[in-house]
Amino acid sequence: MPPLMAIEFLCRVADVLSDYLGGLNEDVIKDNFVIVYELLDEMIDNGFPLTTEPNILREMIAQPNIVSKVLSVVTGNSSNVSETLPGATASCVPWRTSEPKYANNEVYVDLVEEMDATINRDGALVKCEIYGEVQVNSHLSGLPDLTLSFANPSILDDVRFHPCVRFRPWESHQILSFVPPDGQFKLMSYRVKKLKSTPIYVKPQLTSDAGTCRVNVMVGIRNDPGKTIDSITVQFKLPPCILSADLTSNHGTVNILTNKTCSWSIGRIPKDKAPSMSGTFVLETGLERLHVFPTFQVSFRIMGVALSGLQIDKLDLKNLPNRPYKGFRALTRAGEFEVRS
Amino acid sequence: MFPQFGATAETLSKASSMVFRIGTDAHLYDDPEDVNIAPLLDSKFDSEKCEALKRLLALIAQGFDVSNFFPQVVKNVATQSLEVKKLVYLYLLHYAEKRPNEALLSINCFQKDLGDPNALVRAWALRAMAGIRLHVISSLVLVAVGKCARDPSVYVRKSAANALPKLYDLRLEEHTSAIEEIVGILLNDQSPGVVGAAAAAFASICPSNFSLIERNYRRLCEILPDVEEWGQIILIGILLRFVIARHGLVEESIMFSLRSTKSGKSEKNGEATKISNKEDTGYASGNDDFGLGADVSGNIDLELANMVSRCYIEGPDEYLSRLSYANTGPSELNVAQFTSGKSNDDVKILLQCTSPLLWSHNSAVVLAAAGVHWIMAPRENVKKIVKPLLFLLRSSNASKYVVLCNIQVFAKAMPSLFAPHFEDFFICSSDSYQIKTLKLEILSSIVTESAISFVFKEFQDYIRDPDRRFAADTVAAIGLCSQRLPDMATTCLEGLLALTRQEFLSSDFGSVDGEAGVLIQAIMSIQSIIKQDPPSHEKVIIQLIRSLDSVKVPAARAIIIWMVGEYSSLGETIPRTLSTVLKYLAWHFTSEALETKLQILNSIVKVLLCAEGQDIQSFKRVLNYVLELAECDLNYDVRDRARFLRKILSSNLDYQGLEEETNILSPNKDLAYVLSGHIFGGQTKSSPPEPINYRFYLPGSLSQIVLHAAPGYEPLPKPCSLPRVDNVDQGTNGLERARNSDSFDTDETDSLSGSLDEEGASDYGSEHSISGSNVSGGSNETGSASEGDDNTDPLIQISDVGNAFENQHGVSHSGSADLGELISKRALESWLDDQPNSSNTSTSEQSQVRVSTARIFIGDIRHRVKTKSYTLLDPANGNGLKVDYSFSSEVSTISPHLVSVEICFKNCSSEPMSDILLEDEESNKDSNSADQTLVATDSSLTSHNNVPILVPMEEITYLEPGQTAKRIIQLYFH
Repeated sequence: MPPLMAIEFLCRVADVLSDYLGGLNEDVIKDNFVIVYELLDEMIDNGFPLTTEPNILREMIAQPNIVSKVLSVVTGNSSNVSETLPGATASCVPWRTSEPKYANNEVYVDLVEEMDATINRDGALVKCEIYGEVQVNSHLSGLPDLTLSFANPSILDDVRFHPCVRFRPWESHQILSFVPPDGQFKLMSYRVKKLKSTPIYVKPQLTSDAGTCRVNVMVGIRNDPGKTIDSITVQFKLPPCILSADLTSNHGTVNILTNKTCSWSIGRIPKDKAPSMSGTFVLETGLERLHVFPTFQVSFRIMGVALSGLQIDKLDLKNLPNRPYKGFRALTRAGEFEVRS
Repeated sequence: MFPQFGATAETLSKASSMVFRIGTDAHLYDDPEDVNIAPLLDSKFDSEKCEALKRLLALIAQGFDVSNFFPQVVKNVATQSLEVKKLVYLYLLHYAEKRPNEALLSINCFQKDLGDPNALVRAWALRAMAGIRLHVISSLVLVAVGKCARDPSVYVRKSAANALPKLYDLRLEEHTSAIEEIVGILLNDQSPGVVGAAAAAFASICPSNFSLIERNYRRLCEILPDVEEWGQIILIGILLRFVIARHGLVEESIMFSLRSTKSGKSEKNGEATKISNKEDTGYASGNDDFGLGADVSGNIDLELANMVSRCYIEGPDEYLSRLSYANTGPSELNVAQFTSGKSNDDVKILLQCTSPLLWSHNSAVVLAAAGVHWIMAPRENVKKIVKPLLFLLRSSNASKYVVLCNIQVFAKAMPSLFAPHFEDFFICSSDSYQIKTLKLEILSSIVTESAISFVFKEFQDYIRDPDRRFAADTVAAIGLCSQRLPDMATTCLEGLLALTRQEFLSSDFGSVDGEAGVLIQAIMSIQSIIKQDPPSHEKVIIQLIRSLDSVKVPAARAIIIWMVGEYSSLGETIPRTLSTVLKYLAWHFTSEALETKLQILNSIVKVLLCAEGQDIQSFKRVLNYVLELAECDLNYDVRDRARFLRKILSSNLDYQGLEEETNILSPNKDLAYVLSGHIFGGQTKSSPPEPINYRFYLPGSLSQIVLHAAPGYEPLPKPCSLPRVDNVDQGTNGLERARNSDSFDTDETDSLSGSLDEEGASDYGSEHSISGSNVSGGSNETGSASEGDDNTDPLIQISDVGNAFENQHGVSHSGSADLGELISKRALESWLDDQPNSSNTSTSEQSQVRVSTARIFIGDIRHRVKTKSYTLLDPANGNGLKVDYSFSSEVSTISPHLVSVEICFKNCSSEPMSDILLEDEESNKDSNSADQTLVATDSSLTSHNNVPILVPMEEITYLEPGQTAKRIIQLYFH
């Protein structure tokens, strides 16, 4: 078996388990060991993946939820194994539950983007790119056929699709045509490279002399995206040669964890002042100056904006009895956003 | 900060988890044995049974052995509740192998369930039944699988496909053909889901039975995008192997660069420039300006690509061993083994159907599809795989590592592919150390003139990384980069020298190991750069020598001192500084570390040997002083070295007062001096480029990650090893087709490599003569030939020559193909004169003498010494002579080169056999071709060689039906 296949399968198992159990840790697995056994039995057979499609699994083995729990407490009887074979196993769209019925049909499309950026010691932007996902949450009756098109598909550097997406329309017209699975799923992921700027700047300064090192980190808005930037945090790991650190900030809180990680959570940038953090490091005895420098990891979140500039043009639905509700959202957060000092 | 709050949060989370646990099976896990399980199992309520089974599972999960409940659990197989069934199956499969007899009790229920109207029940029953791996029930399972393979439900058919490998694992020879037949049926299925599972079964059962693929090749390609992702991965591999076996490699692909080394070298170079031209004009212009450099890099590129393709086909172990052994250079792939990607429809359709898979959300599928394009796509289209591969880098650390390992190979063989995307290999602080080193390696192999400044800027940042091991690797990468791009050498040297000066400060107190590593690596990089062009870097050497006093790390000092010795006669300034340096070294000798001491000794001798004029006297004095110190050293290595040097230079040192000139000029007078000159003075002329020792395995395979052949690894099949059946597209490939429609033997000799040895030829010749009359039947041998030619040819092949010509031909085919791989083979032939006894119930056959010829090939035993038995039995009725062999530990009495093999003959027929003899094939080939009826005498055997290849065994004169006879034969393996 190719190693990547094994890794990918394990990731899929982890996804399914955390989807079923609402988290993945030792306790949760112990508490639901029967379901875990049953799921694994369905997912792999003789070392080869069997059924990994979450929709089919969900029909075969019921997800534990409040109702079933209450029921099992009251009646003392809990069967979570389906009595019949899910219809989707035989259909040509194995990802779709057979014929769901909804009173009000609705479909939500979210653009979730992560910005990866590297800023080098000179403050120059070495690399800035967006890794984005189109997440769809569909609650549609019957077997709908959706078409999603972008206003500016040319900015996409590369794409990957959910198996439900038909390749031909994309190849010819860059249109996403698909029969959606039921519920939440990742329709497509994309990459936009070579962006020119970041929404915020982080400027660290370290000057060391005579066994101590002065630190000063400034954070501010560089390119206003038009929406508020919130949950900004700056994290960095102290180099091993630092004995102690004393840090204060004029906005937000600074924590130094036991594993020598400092985290400065800023939240939103206030209008009146630029947040800054400053302090001193005491170096190891005998060391005059700092020769290794930490890398600052920045995280933030911007609601309502896709920083890559990707825009959804329109979403057409066919094969539906009544007009559904369509919703669009966008979100950008920091991925691997690094500032070297 | 707020401990009281933290405490509340903790209790809160505890409380909430308590709430969440209500209704789950947590209480069963915590205390599985708080009630008596046995009566629950026998309960008539399903819910109680269910609870009991859950408790058992909880015990299994905690590592207890609860197999003693087996009989009670097995009884519950008959339940109607699906949940109980499922739990019973889980338990059953866990313990079935431990309690085979009780497991048999469940078989009836399974068989009943197989007829259930509910497809889920049928599928589960089949899965569980196949999961009980017992030989006794294998035929029952086979029947069940066969039935389910024709089930109306897709899910059941899929389960049937999944059950096949389990059945095959039992290794029951008599079922093999039936299993393969079912695989064929399932591959032919209409549903993509079934095809995916069938592909997996095919890959594990009969990966080289291409006739199953051949029938449906086109349909399989078309269905590929709809197959579920796991099946896609396997199916892509199968289709790739098939196309190569059928049509060979594509001549526009990278794998074809072997031929372009001969004819189209410039073309290939142009290609590389063209590709880079599009994205990156700087590199192209650099190419033009420095034609020589570009040519060199182009060559390496080609050589590597060539190696890659050879490794893919032969497996690196065979390929590399042949390279080192024969040293004749790689044998050529024949033109006939290539096909044109433009005109071949099968290749085109494969590429077409795999290219959308590069967009798959499953990384493994993307990598598999990229592998196909890498091997099969025309060179200008290989670019297509770059972006999808780079996209995969945005995933978990484990898969990132796997992807990078594969990219590394692609980038080495074709740097221009990834050169424009160098930014993607910049390092993130969240990368693991292994990923960082891989990225550095890739960066240094793809960097171009235009990108180098960006890359160096990045490297400067990396050197300040807190992870010093990584910083040291970065320094090494700088050295590699400047070797790739010689113009950058000066810049690199400046940076590295600055670094060495900087690092002294911190390594002064030497507390950190990491700093020492960086320093050593920096000096090593400098050394490797200087080595390329010593005269132009004289100043750097002097600077390093000056810094000797401040460098404290022994290994780094040793390298600098080595440079003193090596470049002592270089330029003008260095020789002038030598006496000071040597005095300094002598002065510090006692306080040095071991490696530095040894290096000082070497260097002083080297300096002395190269020195001229009046310096020699002072150098000799220094050497004498140091030798005296060294002879009293605490370390025996240093003492030995000193004594050795004194001995070898004794004349040189003793003649202190005399004229040195005569000494040097009269070599015969002083042999030792010449010797020492050779040992130390041998100025290494720019050493030839190191033999490339990379191992390449198929992209995406486990072996490529661990860099040795993992169990189950199979290289690509031999190109064009699958004989063509002339079908519709006759016109497309006129020339090749003409070749192939020739009689089979010309093709055979064509594809044989140059290193074919004598025996191979004679071997082939003899077979040819045997089958002389049958040769015209060259077109109907498809099945058997392909079977004989699979890669897993057994160690010993025995075939019945007399019975069927096809079979024998197949063996000859594989035998000679193997000879191409240097494996020396010895063919043994045994002639068995099987004569129906006339004293038996004599009927019409009485007068007819039935002759059957048997041929035993003994393959290469170095790789796989496994005892297996192959029989000469007639597969249809189980009649015939059964021959088993095993390697015996007995030592030959005749010659130490001979290996003893114990051979066991058993007569399984109903008639007695007589005059059974096993002997060397070559020796009797004359008689062989002359008449096929008789057993040849072994008179000519010893004349062949001094050591006999096969010491003839004692003849078995008579073997009763059912009787067994054992003989030892002694063989000579090359």
